[in-house]
Amino acid sequence: MRTLAARLLITLLVLGLTAALVPAADAQKRGGTLTIVRPTDPVSLDPNLETTAPGAWVYFNLLEGLLTLDETMQIKPVLATSYEVLSPTKVRFKLRPGVKFHDGTPFNAAAVKFTFDRALRGNPPARWASLAGSLSGAEVVDDLTVDIVTREPYGPILRTLAMYCMGIVSPTAVQKMGADFSRAPVGTGPFRFVEWKTNTHVIIERSPDYWGDRALVDRVVFRVVPEEGARMIALQTGDADMVLFPSPAQLQALRRDPKYTVHETTGLRVVFAGLHAGLPPLDDVRVRQALLHAVDRKAILDNIMEGSAGPARGVLAPGVFGYKDMQLDRLYPFDRARAKALLAQAGWVPGADGILQKSGQRLSLSWLAARGRYPKDGEITEAIQAMLKDVGVEAKVQILEWAAVFQQVRGNPFNHHLFTLGWVTSNADADYSLYPLFHSKQVPPTGWNTSRYANPKVDALVEQARRSLNQTEREKLYGEVQDILAKEMVWIPVYTTKEIIVTRAAVKGFSIHPVEYNLGLWKTWVDK
Amino acid sequence: MLSFAARRLLLAVPVLLGVVFVVMLTIDLLPGDAVTLMLGEHATKDAVAALREHLGLDKPFLVRYLDYVGRLLRGDLGRSIQQNRPVVAELADAWPATLELTVAALAVATAVGIAAGVVSAVWPNSLFDAAARLASLFGLSMPIFWTGLVLMVVFSLWLNWLPVGGAGSLSHLVLPAVTLALPSVAMISRMSRSAVLDVLGEDYVRTARAKGVGELWVLGKHALRNAFIPILTLLGLQSGQLMGGAVLTETVFSWPGLGRLIVKAIFARDYVLLQGAVLVFALAFVVVNLLVDLSYGLLDPRVARQG
Repeated sequence: MRTLAARLLITLLVLGLTAALVPAADAQKRGGTLTIVRPTDPVSLDPNLETTAPGAWVYFNLLEGLLTLDETMQIKPVLATSYEVLSPTKVRFKLRPGVKFHDGTPFNAAAVKFTFDRALRGNPPARWASLAGSLSGAEVVDDLTVDIVTREPYGPILRTLAMYCMGIVSPTAVQKMGADFSRAPVGTGPFRFVEWKTNTHVIIERSPDYWGDRALVDRVVFRVVPEEGARMIALQTGDADMVLFPSPAQLQALRRDPKYTVHETTGLRVVFAGLHAGLPPLDDVRVRQALLHAVDRKAILDNIMEGSAGPARGVLAPGVFGYKDMQLDRLYPFDRARAKALLAQAGWVPGADGILQKSGQRLSLSWLAARGRYPKDGEITEAIQAMLKDVGVEAKVQILEWAAVFQQVRGNPFNHHLFTLGWVTSNADADYSLYPLFHSKQVPPTGWNTSRYANPKVDALVEQARRSLNQTEREKLYGEVQDILAKEMVWIPVYTTKEIIVTRAAVKGFSIHPVEYNLGLWKTWVDK
Repeated sequence: MLSFAARRLLLAVPVLLGVVFVVMLTIDLLPGDAVTLMLGEHATKDAVAALREHLGLDKPFLVRYLDYVGRLLRGDLGRSIQQNRPVVAELADAWPATLELTVAALAVATAVGIAAGVVSAVWPNSLFDAAARLASLFGLSMPIFWTGLVLMVVFSLWLNWLPVGGAGSLSHLVLPAVTLALPSVAMISRMSRSAVLDVLGEDYVRTARAKGVGELWVLGKHALRNAFIPILTLLGLQSGQLMGGAVLTETVFSWPGLGRLIVKAIFARDYVLLQGAVLVFALAFVVVNLLVDLSYGLLDPRVARQG
């Protein structure tokens, strides 16, 4: 008896201790409404018609794919339970049993095939078809087994399937609703669709029979507030719990204010000044390296970006599979003397007007940039222009509207030495950046090798990495590519974007994702 | 009168076709196109070409224009390029909100503007007149997006009396309607002041006063009725101003109307949607001005006899 009492006591003590140690888990409150303000209404809530953020933020909570990427950018199964690589063009997935769509339709291999057929064989194909590389479709093996097939060996297939826009849709709902499906999608996610009032709000609510941990809030209201100032006021009056695209100017103050939480993480986009390696004098690697030494990248981060962006340590963002720190700060520290020495080695000597020259030719470079396409793109272009002047390099900057810049950088030939651009690795796989940006056959209009970089070794490595389904091998190959690029620099990487969301301090359990579209709200709750 | 109205409405047809042409040309001349914006910068060349062909955007400008007009004459406004939704459905969602906002703003502008103008005219160069003149200058000079945010900070954030934005109840309507009305209040009050002042100097007013008619009766019966004709003309023109201002006001106050639809369509280079929204505005403007012309007859019997 005594032992039983003692055991009980100990059990109670332990339970009490556990409760004290993990208060967060216990304090979680269910219920309530989470109100989010963001600048624009979705185009559509169907990934087939919308791959941009306003729609993705909503449907990421309604639809689920076979796989997903968690906040640490690891692949996690969702509607799949396991997978096995059968051949370089075929991956077999075991599907989660007992899952139902919000309309009661059972989730199975046929639904997976239906989703990919609709997206890839539709007329026109899904808006995300261009992002999906060699993905060619799905084949039903049995009710809970499906093969995903690619046209050719395609290493990035897993991360492609884990993209936010790969949600499986209910075939019954699509057939029944036709075009209306895009305004009221039916998936398997932790939330289900309630209402979309154009330009006012989209409402979603907790799905009561979700297969996994059910969402904590009863409903989420996505309100449209186009004006940045008005969004911030809505947060302050309590009309909104969460602000997407907060005002950058107010972040410093909000970080100090205990009433709010600023959630931030490094994103997947690198903004850079590209160098045209095919256009003299930038065909000389010493000149390109000199330009890197001439730019004080830390000063740009501290004084222009003011904490709203992270450093660029290479051509990829850290969250991307295959990323390797290119050690740019060690290889190319800000050092005007070294810049000048390298330029002198390349034959450039000081001229009468302070600009370097070689056999009567001034070191004058033309630069194409837009303003307002990427955060502070115009300002960083002007800052670097001034820094280059300090080492005797003249940059003639031409700032045009984005659409006009886009047309030129996508054209061939391209006659500017420098160009300010940003690149987001949409599927979080190095292939998505290293292949179209640095393969010699990917010169525009085919790909995005605006630098006209050509190195047979790099071509061979990115091809081999694309065809391999061995992820360890791929990571090694991409590492090699980045080592080569670090020596031959055809970019001046300036910063990596940050994803920033502000909530009231009462909003708990939310974790921001490096991919801006992946706004998962099922673990979020409001401490009202 | 009826044949006059019918003639005017018929004349609106070439006006609307002209509007359609200008809108289409403008969006064609803007850099960037709907398909590139939809598929994003990473889209393959083939995907862009295929979608452009699917949407008929690869056809030359004149073919697209005639195509559009042909369908328009059959009453088909088409489907929006970006959302593939019937334009009629988009317009049906949006126009009641804009109607509500502009009517409310016009009511505020007319009531406040005429009242302020008449008081200023009756006591010209008084303290009130000076204050009204200063306020008008302010109302006219301040951009809507600025006054809107200031009103929002004061009445939503500090006083917590009114919601920040959105639509739904009467309290949601107050701030946007007042913001939108402000420049028109200024115009209308200045116009009313000078119109009433003019009339008050007329012989018939002096005669009425000499007959011993009370001052209020002089003002109401003799002065205002005559002064109202130029004010009415201004109201017609102001309704156009208000519809234009609605684009900004709706953006600042998250008001789900046609103005927002137009902004969305322009950013997406969605000319089909843009055409639909602009047509509604143009038609509304034509109708309002027709109503103004017709109501001249109610105020001035001479106009009615000529018509």
